[in-house]
Amino acid sequence: MEWVTITAATMEDAKAMALDQLGVAAEDAEIEVVEEPKPGLFGRMRGEAVVRARVRPTSTRESTRRDRGGERSERGDRRGGRTRQRPRNGERRRERGPSDRSADDEAPRREDAPKVPVTTVRDAATTFLEGLFAAADLSARVESSIDGDDIEIAVHGDQLTMFVGARGMTLTQLQDITRVVSQRRLGDHDTRLRVDVGGYRQRRKDALGRFAQKVANDVMETGTPRILEPMNSADRKIVHDTLATVEGVVTHSEGDDPFRRVVVSRAPGA
Amino acid sequence: MAEATVATKVLDHIVRSIVDNPDSVRVEAVDDDGVIILEVRVADGDLGRVIGRRGRTAQNIRALVRAAAEKDGVEVDVDFLDD
Repeated sequence: MEWVTITAATMEDAKAMALDQLGVAAEDAEIEVVEEPKPGLFGRMRGEAVVRARVRPTSTRESTRRDRGGERSERGDRRGGRTRQRPRNGERRRERGPSDRSADDEAPRREDAPKVPVTTVRDAATTFLEGLFAAADLSARVESSIDGDDIEIAVHGDQLTMFVGARGMTLTQLQDITRVVSQRRLGDHDTRLRVDVGGYRQRRKDALGRFAQKVANDVMETGTPRILEPMNSADRKIVHDTLATVEGVVTHSEGDDPFRRVVVSRAPGA
Repeated sequence: MAEATVATKVLDHIVRSIVDNPDSVRVEAVDDDGVIILEVRVADGDLGRVIGRRGRTAQNIRALVRAAAEKDGVEVDVDFLDD
């Protein structure tokens, strides 16, 4: 499994961004701190938070269960109980043979575990979110799109900001719980699930796109290439994609993560 | 005591969606000096699932329930217990 390296101003942000990029629940990610910001003069922080993260390989699951303690011995019974007592999942369960069940979320060999259909994960996440917003007495519309193993879920409606929170913090937590409910519960290890509420992520994406456009205008005017701040791959992609359609400039990336940066320069002959 | 109706419903929904035994989930509100404590009880083997690795899931549930409590206009905290 591939590692991603994320740089941010704070450790909290770096970890949230790493999970965001991996698209899995915190429980299914392995995050290592590469560098911590150090306190500098006058209480300011110097340097940046750098973390390395990857999707936790299934083979290490067995050992991670141990520190949860006290529940291993009951697993057999619980599994039996789950199929009996959750009729609404019965249909989905039956898609997989009984012999597959033990491979469900403890599968030591990823290749042998049957793949959970991406639509099943999407449906579980959608049902959960619809129920959540109904419980919160909010009228919301849950829409989703699937692209390969990528699942994007967008919740639309009024007064949803309480589930976005300051700097999208509550949204990140909502997304993590949604991943636990869908991916983790179903024993899915393949999908990447992202949740947006009230268009928050979309607006952030749009803002980055506008910034890229502004940089492109500067570059065309002055002819001087601009080297942008280091960004994670998701953000770099937004810049590349935005400027791919802009005549007169070209983009490429330089350096290694976490310091990989997009360079915007005037197109040859422009 | 003020009521945390929305927060309680949200907590109930989230926990039921995570555990293996949703029928065993019980949420009870107790007043602790003006703060409403929502005590959630789950079946024996389900507590680990609700708490998650390093308490991550519990932490996220608390945050979402507190956010929902804004609608009730009250402050809440969540305690996780097993039967």
